[in-house]
Amino acid sequence: MAVIKKVVDWIDVRIGIREVAEKELTEYILPRTINAWYSMGSVLLFAFVLQVVSGMLLLIYYVPDADKAFKSVTAIMNDVPYGWLIRMCHAVGSNMMVLALLLHMLSVLFMGSYKKPRELNWVTGFTLLALVQAISLTGYLLPWSQLSFWATTVATNSANAIPVVGPYLVEFLRGSKLVGPPTLGRFFALHVAFIPAVIGALIGAHLFFIKRTGISAPPFGQKDSSNHWQGDRYRHEEHPGGIPFFPNFVLDDLRSIAIYMACLMAVVFFDPYLFFPKDAFIPANPFVTPAHIKPEWYFLANYQTLKTFSNELIGLSLQGAAMTFLALLPFVDRGNERHPLKRPLFMVCSLGGLLLWIGFSIWGHLS
Amino acid sequence: MEKMNSRRTFLGVCLGSLGIIAAAMVSWPIFRYLAPRSNSGSAGKVVIPVTDIREGDARFIEYAGSAAVLVRKRGGDLVALSAVCTHLGCIVQWESDKQDFLCPCHGGHYSADGIVTAGPPPKPLDKLPFTVTGGNIIVG
Repeated sequence: MAVIKKVVDWIDVRIGIREVAEKELTEYILPRTINAWYSMGSVLLFAFVLQVVSGMLLLIYYVPDADKAFKSVTAIMNDVPYGWLIRMCHAVGSNMMVLALLLHMLSVLFMGSYKKPRELNWVTGFTLLALVQAISLTGYLLPWSQLSFWATTVATNSANAIPVVGPYLVEFLRGSKLVGPPTLGRFFALHVAFIPAVIGALIGAHLFFIKRTGISAPPFGQKDSSNHWQGDRYRHEEHPGGIPFFPNFVLDDLRSIAIYMACLMAVVFFDPYLFFPKDAFIPANPFVTPAHIKPEWYFLANYQTLKTFSNELIGLSLQGAAMTFLALLPFVDRGNERHPLKRPLFMVCSLGGLLLWIGFSIWGHLS
Repeated sequence: MEKMNSRRTFLGVCLGSLGIIAAAMVSWPIFRYLAPRSNSGSAGKVVIPVTDIREGDARFIEYAGSAAVLVRKRGGDLVALSAVCTHLGCIVQWESDKQDFLCPCHGGHYSADGIVTAGPPPKPLDKLPFTVTGGNIIVG
């Protein structure tokens, strides 16, 4: 212990690390009414780090070559010690991360935390959701299985519906007329370099906005749950009489992370192929299309929307409109009330939208 | 207060121990994942037809995950050596005109038997076991 103290002292006299720790951790006061949903951000940060670390480890054995990719993934699963664990953590982790992101978004939505002055938090968060979906889609192709190959074929093909530029856009996405080795090169670069870099930068921006604006108080358990932001000048939202981030809320964060890890490990150990249909175990064959090829569960609603409308452009436009509406929600919903039960129109629209999404996902799964 | 401190110390030790166990549980699979596989690069025995190496010539092979060389000296004697220079681990080259090995990295010279004749190598090239049966040279 004395050694650790000496090391900290040595650093402290040079860069004042204790002052930073006090300001950012122990003197960072959160509202006393804060609830477990506020720890979803930390869960997501942890999940992202887990994805980055497991992804880096997979890069050691994975070969991004159409002739070798499937074989290398099979070798990771069967020959490399604990390769199955690393790959399963990565593959199942990506699904769990999307689920955690959706829960985080829903909690922000229902507690009205997206409202002014937190528009930038919402926009960066929503962009992060889209990027996580993009990184999942690009990662899906990398094992070069029948599932990856044909799911990517269907997903990239949907851009065909865009008038005029559609066919060129599809070819641009794929790097060739059909999904093939050039697509693997592109998706690999996007998956391991470009998208993670943008996600990392956006996470930084997201956290910066939260720190500068100050965390919102939950609308529950108070008489007045309306938004009192004045907007005449910058003010950091203070929470007098609140609890410190460290150690109080850090423990809450750790508890939520432990629950997340327990869920992840439960799937990895007890039902590892939950997200793997049988086509995921067959190498890609560009000449044999498997029956009933479907995307990941979080794209099922999009998939079913495209199937429902005979005109693909209408389906695509509806999805684009819904996404744009959600992205710009803080600029559309400008009311001051934050308690969900005091916002009947919001509740009807959001619950209706959520049920529609779930309904379309189930329909997509069963169809 | 002392009781409080002892309880805090006890809980701290418990938490620290749990942390160490958790760290070990995470580190062990990662270490095993990264560690070179014990059988990787090991080809067991290497079999080469005797006729493949002419007198005064050498044949480089991969043996036990490393580089090796078989030399048929003038006069017909066979030698099997590690091709890894004992100086800094470069791979030696066979100079058939001089009937010796040259390490191109720092100019080490070895005789056809692997004995240092010039330059910085501190010791001879390692000799490898081999047998000749049924017209084949079996290294290993």
